[in-house]
Amino acid sequence: MKLIERRVSPADSPLALATAMIIAVAAAMLVTSLLFTLYGANPLKAYFALFHEPFATWRGFGYTLVRTAPLTLIALGTILSWRSGFGYLGFEGCFVLGAAATTWLALFTAVPSWAFLPLALSLSFTAGAVWAGGVALVRARLGGNEVLISLMTNYVAILILQYLVSGPMRAPGSVPQTALLPRAKWLPFILHGTRAHAGILLALLVTVVVWMLLRKTPLGYELIVSGLNPSAARYGGINVGARLVIAAFCAGGLGAWAGTVEVLGAQHRLMDGISGGVGFTGIIVALLGRLNPLAVIPAAVLYGGMTVGANAMQRRAGIPSSITFILQSLIVLMVLASDIFRRYRVKLS
Amino acid sequence: MNFHRLMTSAFLVTWLAASLRLSGPVLLAALGETFSERSGVLNVGIEGTILLGALASFLTDYVTGMLWMSVLVAVLTGILFNLLLAWMYVTVRASQVVVGLVFNVLALGIAATVYRRALGESSGPQGVPMFPTLHIPWLSDLPLLGPVLFGQTILFYLTLGLVVVAHFVLFRTSFGLALRAAGENPSAADAAGVSVARMRYTGVLIGGATAGMAGAYLVLAQIGLFRESIVSGQGFIALGIVIFGRWSPWKAALAAFVFGASDALQLGLQLGGASIPPQLLASLPYIVTILAISGLFGGKAVQPAALMVPYAKD
Repeated sequence: MKLIERRVSPADSPLALATAMIIAVAAAMLVTSLLFTLYGANPLKAYFALFHEPFATWRGFGYTLVRTAPLTLIALGTILSWRSGFGYLGFEGCFVLGAAATTWLALFTAVPSWAFLPLALSLSFTAGAVWAGGVALVRARLGGNEVLISLMTNYVAILILQYLVSGPMRAPGSVPQTALLPRAKWLPFILHGTRAHAGILLALLVTVVVWMLLRKTPLGYELIVSGLNPSAARYGGINVGARLVIAAFCAGGLGAWAGTVEVLGAQHRLMDGISGGVGFTGIIVALLGRLNPLAVIPAAVLYGGMTVGANAMQRRAGIPSSITFILQSLIVLMVLASDIFRRYRVKLS
Repeated sequence: MNFHRLMTSAFLVTWLAASLRLSGPVLLAALGETFSERSGVLNVGIEGTILLGALASFLTDYVTGMLWMSVLVAVLTGILFNLLLAWMYVTVRASQVVVGLVFNVLALGIAATVYRRALGESSGPQGVPMFPTLHIPWLSDLPLLGPVLFGQTILFYLTLGLVVVAHFVLFRTSFGLALRAAGENPSAADAAGVSVARMRYTGVLIGGATAGMAGAYLVLAQIGLFRESIVSGQGFIALGIVIFGRWSPWKAALAAFVFGASDALQLGLQLGGASIPPQLLASLPYIVTILAISGLFGGKAVQPAALMVPYAKD
């Protein structure tokens, strides 16, 4: 009599998925608790500090939304490209290029204010689309490995940013950064008494559009088929290479929009280190949502909130904010590992 | 004219010596990754493994001052963390790119948190003892060749030795054959009595060991201190070197040297006060790596047939 028995195929009922998810998150939080005790902090108090400000205070929730907007946009870009079979990892680069293009338009051109936002969005989208599209072209034409090439492009883009803020776009002063954007160019704040800005509305709108595109349109169908089985797609008359480039264009454009939103809504200037790893956290958010556009919103709110809470935790409990990187990545690793449980069932009879 | 020739040969010597020095860590990481990929696992997590190896060797060196002990601790750290990675890749059969990528974020979090815990929040960068460059009597004094080939640290020669060992093990032993079989045709390997899982675990752990050692190389033979940005993509570059080196140890050594040469060139140009902005020069090694793996050069790269394909035995 074996108590644990192997299933023929992994359990995939909503209950099984949810249970595995909850076990995974609990396990990740347990491991992180050990780290809190390493810092001499009470884990319960530390978690309270981590989650109270971003989710239980009005002002803190505003900051959570500020962090949610770029994460959502990058996660949606990840979904579009990955589900089309294009393993793009260059969002950090798209983010800084979008941020740079937006800042350039705001500070160094005389665009009438009514035309500024549409122009900024188009310019930024184009910059990101070309940046990511180049990688797609290399993959489609030459067969280069897009995973590695896109990782490399991140470093190139960040060095371009460092050049811009310490050279041509630098404002006088000791810090390598640009001047503050004029108030008229900022995105409007949308919740009274908080810093939450209109970028979150853009993120919500794009979520719906991406969901519709993948779920309801022929193009979305072709993208997904190209991702699932390129040879079958080609046999079915789909130009896989062209679909790849389209997916890359959208992914890069959305990554660049994340940078636009960050500059116009949160930082209001361009500086070195503006991305702070958001290009990778965004990918993690998409993975946590299992590449489902609608699941991205709660995942992005959770991870955005954790970033806000991490700073509060550092101020209050003296625990370095870098610990949230550990918690955030452990959760996803545990969720991935929890798949192994779904391959077994417990026999009680 | 004579003076000009002297200047260019001095530049050449410095450049070549620096090229070899800078190619060391990426070559080490690429050697282990070759084993990992030959067994069928693409380990994107070596970027994070190098970082953790660097931190482990830095802390050991900082506390004990024992250089070889620091290398050993870095290697063990690499193996330990790659045990977790191997479990995710081979036993859980999760997507290899995803696991590696998320692991890198985890490694960054661990490195930043542990470093601050160990050295305090406010302290500036702390230097640690480093491996000296060797002076081999007679050989090191040769013109041109002396300083280039015989003026490196012991870790560099160890790395060169490992290239030979890696090539021998991979292509001249039954273990190497079994490992490659697991990466080319796991079902056939399984039918021939090779444990695919054991081969892939071994491949990933060898990759972890050399990536940890690459971290030690960065700290103990190149930089002499630790910072979170110490690796800055060298693990990813090592992945590119494995491709450009066509999954062969000695070709990886050549590819690593091309990377080292581009890195040394940009550093030399920066120091020489070139009119190109330093940040744009610094992007040279990344651009060279992109070009190297773009498919433009060297014909088609044929990777191990079962690379990134999890194997379920049943």
